[in-house]
Amino acid sequence: MIKINGLHKWFGSNHVLNDVNLEIRDGETLVIIGRSGVGKSVLLKLIAGILDPDNGQILVDGTDIVTLGASGLDAFRLRLGMLFQGAALFDSLNVRGNVGFSLYEHTRLSEPEIRKKVEEKLALVGLRNIQELMPAELSGGMKKRVGLARAICNDPKVILYDEPTTGLDPINSDVINNLILRMQKKLGVTSIVVTHDMTSAYKVANRIAMLHEGRIIGTGTVDDIRNTSDILIRQFITGTADPET
Amino acid sequence: MQGLKQYLSVRRSLAHIGSYWIDLSIQIGGISFLLVDTLRCLFRTKLRWTATVDQMFKIGFTSLPLVFLTALFTGIVLALQSAYQLKLFGAQQFTSDLVALSMCRELGPVLTAMVVAGRVGASIAAEIGTMKVTEQIDALRALATDPVRYLVVPRFIAAFFMLFVLTIYADIVGMLGGWAIAVFKLDINSHQYIKRAFTVLMFKDVFTGLIKAFAFGAIISIVGCYHGLKSYGGAEGVGKATTTAVVSALILIIAMDALFTAIFYFF
Repeated sequence: MIKINGLHKWFGSNHVLNDVNLEIRDGETLVIIGRSGVGKSVLLKLIAGILDPDNGQILVDGTDIVTLGASGLDAFRLRLGMLFQGAALFDSLNVRGNVGFSLYEHTRLSEPEIRKKVEEKLALVGLRNIQELMPAELSGGMKKRVGLARAICNDPKVILYDEPTTGLDPINSDVINNLILRMQKKLGVTSIVVTHDMTSAYKVANRIAMLHEGRIIGTGTVDDIRNTSDILIRQFITGTADPET
Repeated sequence: MQGLKQYLSVRRSLAHIGSYWIDLSIQIGGISFLLVDTLRCLFRTKLRWTATVDQMFKIGFTSLPLVFLTALFTGIVLALQSAYQLKLFGAQQFTSDLVALSMCRELGPVLTAMVVAGRVGASIAAEIGTMKVTEQIDALRALATDPVRYLVVPRFIAAFFMLFVLTIYADIVGMLGGWAIAVFKLDINSHQYIKRAFTVLMFKDVFTGLIKAFAFGAIISIVGCYHGLKSYGGAEGVGKATTTAVVSALILIIAMDALFTAIFYFF
């Protein structure tokens, strides 16, 4: 279980996260929604240990990752997979190098074993025979899927998705949504998805949390969020702009 | 009103100066921390030899034509300018001394470093900067890989040793340029030119130049990596980081050259 207590993050004078409290249960998919620039991706990077919070705790199975040293943090990251907004594939490496990155860096598996594992993970995201291609030769949807294959290559317990459907056409978005659901069913992983795509949120979420002005202003199941009376959440999920703006 | 305006502009100027010094201090501090971090990774973690050799090729081998042209023309100009002055005293035969000493002590290492800073420093900053703005650096961290060990250390080792090799190459090519002018234009005997050049050059002259080369290699790689890792804001940010990396490296090279020259002069 991941438990976030009183998390604060400042960028200069900008108080991006202001006392965030959140709980993510084992095996569930929690979707964090919110307007652009409210700090959803920052929250995800704090959970991954990529950024350091200014205050607060991030407890993963009882261990506060904020207090971990470099080696402890690396060990935690090896149990975690992350899909970035733009996939963030390494330009200089081919698909095999990208997907098998952590195997090449952190295991002593032989080349044939790594190739086999990469092939398996690519098959899991519906891609075949592309190991030799470079990221520049892939379409947007393929990049996201390769990014997902990289995220699951280490068989992680937790997968973080940063805007997984942004920039994709509706069909490709649905392919990614199905993959997120498949990861949860097949691998039983805990997932945190950051998105402002409500179609995707409704499809993949077990629970939804809304981040607004640095705070979590509402958490609930998909039905709870659909039927909420909270004005801010209603405004967001129906995509209604404030009349004054 | 006029007085108030003047006060405001003085205040603004002072604020600009203050902010400039704060930025400079942050930059020097950041570069120093990155250097310490790089040295820590260098001695404590497993090196990526394939990536290091690849960087050596990129930094060293691909810079050879540019260094060749720069050193050759510098040697030629140096010989012509020296001969022009020495002719007044009837001491044209000392052209070889001047060319050899100037190339090995000063121009070889400094010009090589400047050429490499412009070419390689910019490319390091642009490559790492692009990785930063496209979240590839974050992806490295998420995959439990230290960007300093993965990206900075191979570039540091490669630049450190390749600047040394390129400087030796520049020294030789520069002296050859001087030799060509001396022999074909100034009618100095080839054997006499070579003999004088090797007689006048002492171990200390070559040694001081090569020590500088190591330092310049470290500066180019660390400054390029630092500005790349600090870049933000898309293509514009990468462009800014690239320019700043080259300018900072050039200033540091000249400042470090002055420091080394003073140290070697007095000790």
